[in-house]
Amino acid sequence: MPRRRSFKPLDSSQGRFTVAAILCTFALFSALSVGLSVRATEGSHHRATVVQVAARQRTLAERYVQEVLLVRQGQRADPAYTGGVLRDSVVALLHGGTAPAVNGDDDATRLAPFKGARVRAQLEQERRLAADLTATGAAILAGRPARGRLTAHEHVRGGDPMLRLRTLAALTSNVSLNTARSMAAGADKGISDLITMQVALGLAGLLASLGLAWALIAATRRQTAHFRSLVTSSTDLVLVFGEGGVRYVSASVTEMLGRTDHELLGEGLVEQVHGDDRVALETTVAQGTSDGVVFRMCDRFGEWRHLEARVTDLRGDRQVQGVVLNARDISERVRLEEQLTVQAFHDGLTGLANRALFRDRLNQALARSARSPAPLAVLLVDLDGFKQVNDSLGHDAGDHLLLEVGRRFDGVVRPNDTLARLGGDEFALLLDGADGPRATAVADRLLECLLEPIEVADRELTLSASVGVVVHPGGAGDSEVLVRHADVAMYAAKAAGRARWEVFHNEMDREFGEDLGLAQELRVGLQRGEFSLHYQPEVAIDSSALVGVEALLRWQSPSRGNVPPDQFIPVAEDTGLIMPIGEFVLREACEQTAQWRRAGLLPDSFVTWVNLSGKQLSVGGVPTTVHAALEASGLPPEFLGLEVTETAIVEGGAAGERARSELQELHSEGVSLAIDDFGTGFSSLGQLRRFPVDVIKVDRSFIHGVEHDPKDSAIAANLVSLAHALNLVAVAEGIESDGQLTSLRSLGCDLAQGFLFARPAPADVVTQMLADGGPPVPGAPPATAPGRPHTITALPGA
Amino acid sequence: MRDAPILTGIATVAVALVTGCGGEPPRSGADHERVVRVAERDFHISAPSTVDAGKVRLRVANKGPDDHEFVVVRTGSGRLPLRRDGLTVDEDRVEKATVGIIEPAQPGTTHDLQVRLRPGTYALLCNMSGHYHGGMSRRLVVR
Repeated sequence: MPRRRSFKPLDSSQGRFTVAAILCTFALFSALSVGLSVRATEGSHHRATVVQVAARQRTLAERYVQEVLLVRQGQRADPAYTGGVLRDSVVALLHGGTAPAVNGDDDATRLAPFKGARVRAQLEQERRLAADLTATGAAILAGRPARGRLTAHEHVRGGDPMLRLRTLAALTSNVSLNTARSMAAGADKGISDLITMQVALGLAGLLASLGLAWALIAATRRQTAHFRSLVTSSTDLVLVFGEGGVRYVSASVTEMLGRTDHELLGEGLVEQVHGDDRVALETTVAQGTSDGVVFRMCDRFGEWRHLEARVTDLRGDRQVQGVVLNARDISERVRLEEQLTVQAFHDGLTGLANRALFRDRLNQALARSARSPAPLAVLLVDLDGFKQVNDSLGHDAGDHLLLEVGRRFDGVVRPNDTLARLGGDEFALLLDGADGPRATAVADRLLECLLEPIEVADRELTLSASVGVVVHPGGAGDSEVLVRHADVAMYAAKAAGRARWEVFHNEMDREFGEDLGLAQELRVGLQRGEFSLHYQPEVAIDSSALVGVEALLRWQSPSRGNVPPDQFIPVAEDTGLIMPIGEFVLREACEQTAQWRRAGLLPDSFVTWVNLSGKQLSVGGVPTTVHAALEASGLPPEFLGLEVTETAIVEGGAAGERARSELQELHSEGVSLAIDDFGTGFSSLGQLRRFPVDVIKVDRSFIHGVEHDPKDSAIAANLVSLAHALNLVAVAEGIESDGQLTSLRSLGCDLAQGFLFARPAPADVVTQMLADGGPPVPGAPPATAPGRPHTITALPGA
Repeated sequence: MRDAPILTGIATVAVALVTGCGGEPPRSGADHERVVRVAERDFHISAPSTVDAGKVRLRVANKGPDDHEFVVVRTGSGRLPLRRDGLTVDEDRVEKATVGIIEPAQPGTTHDLQVRLRPGTYALLCNMSGHYHGGMSRRLVVR
């Protein structure tokens, strides 16, 4: 397994240690050199002393001979003293001690015992010669023959005592000189040895220091190379700011910005920084703050890159002396954040502002208006008939339409305005600073731009829009209120016939505000399950048998109580809520009927009738809803009947055609069809003949007067006979009295429905009725009890 | 001893003259170099008293304890002349008779001196101050 080499950066303590080691080595070798020098100097000093003493020996030996001669000539001298000094000096040289001072000459000289066998042997010889010299001198002075035995192996020729004395003096002097010379030579050798050692030490010290220094340099170089490679291979951009701008730019700048480091050195970098960020960057660098800084730089291709930099103030660091920036390219992140912001505040389909952004802009505009009163206007735009497009041509076509509408609106507004899509086909426009005339002028342009047809799914569609305009005169305001008022104005525009704008005024709030509130409550009520179905029985007039029920919608509003359908159904139709409500009714009625059927309560030919709104038919898609309800409940289609109004089946155009074909489709599957409120509309008999209807329901307005009013009676009789002529079943609605019942029976009307038999009741009440075999006997609840119905005729064609 | 180099030069010239102009051609074989051992010590010279004429290598060992020089002078029958101090041989006056000199040598050292000796009497001596008179002189007879 290969050994991993980890890089250990040289920390400052290691560097200091190496420098200290170098210094110590120098100091050690210097101390040794100085010591050797001191020894050499001492040696020199000793040599000088010895040479001096040795020179003195020569003088003493010669003086001794002279003094002996002087004494013999009767002159005054002291050879014994001189001889003593001579001998003591030799002893001092040999064994150490003090070489005595000579009268009138030098001072006493302290000497160390001399080392070295050769010199010591010479000194011994000198000592013996000095002894022989002084012994000979003493003998001459004493008048004794100078023939004493000599101790230094000298063999002096001839018998002349003075010659003997002079020879000995010469020998003493010569040996003394040679000894001094030997000493000096020894000292010289010592000194030259010391110098050699000194040079060797110096060289060794130099080499050791060079070695350490080399090691330090190598380590530093390795470290520098390592950090350089870290810096240069890093994707981060390293910048060093110092005096005169940027002093260092790492090589990664090429990859990051496509620029060379030369371009950015000095003042070059700041020139590439976005003007808005320049001050922030320069402030950060000047202060050396540790907080990061984000700035934009222009790359080689002229695009702005977002850089996020960490700042380290190293101006106090002598190695750097600058502010270091470690910058990362965060352009991708910024782009993503911007994208997310766009997604959060923009409509995904059209790219326009969404409801949140619109509300935010509106609040800001209102806040500005509160500070310095200036008007502003809000326009709410709802496309007329968009839902039909969406339902008939599909969502893709609807989306395409919205996209095109958004594009056209965008071409109308000014850059300062905020155009938003609030959802569905609802657009909003905020005109900051706009007064009434300008707001309505813009509303006009919005309507105009829709006049040109829009091509969708190979068709050319022409859409109109209803625009609600609200103008805020300036000052404080509530965005909620403004938007609600714009909504009211839009509703007013729709109510006034669509394809127009209306400016909000306070009366409008009273007139339409109620409806808008109702619509909102309907929407919530549907979600909260405030709707339920009641069922009104239908009976055979002749037998009073229960042959069907009409499902009737009930809304129990928590704030409004029980709301009659004629109040909320128009609002539901206007707001499109009729569609989910209609789905609810079908689903619920089928489910309930299926329960009764499973319980075995239903007689043959029983039909549960459900009212279809004209809006439902014109939008289309009824078979889909019916199929879903039947399948969910498991109810056979024969048990379901649909009631439509006359106007719904006679409507012209494509929508009317489609509605009729959808109804025919359902009828062919077994679903019964009835014309509701028959006689009030304008249906042509021809259409009625072609249309596959099973039942006509004679409107209650004719039933009301059937008993007393001959005209009503005649119409009712004609309607019943018409039904029978077309082989349809006639149903009388709203029978409240026995008299009415009697009249209708005489007219041959087949079925009846009304308070006389049963009021609309919850499902459980009807369940009980079914279990009991029919509704209570007619006429029992009212005080005036009519005669009982008798038999029931078979239902034709059921 | 100040003038020792000069003495040496003179002596060398003298030896050259003696050997080159002696009219006695070297005999090959018999004229091989002989080594004669000489010892110097305070204050005595030990050497053979006689030696055969011819080329001789005098191997002079100084046994100390003092320094000694070594001078070879052909003396004939007379005594060596002394300088005015009465203690040292007057080397100038025996310059022509001097056949070889070894400069003062330290004790414990040995030096060779190559000389061509003719039959006659030679003096071997140390002429350092007092040494000649102190006993460092020896007669050498060359046959």
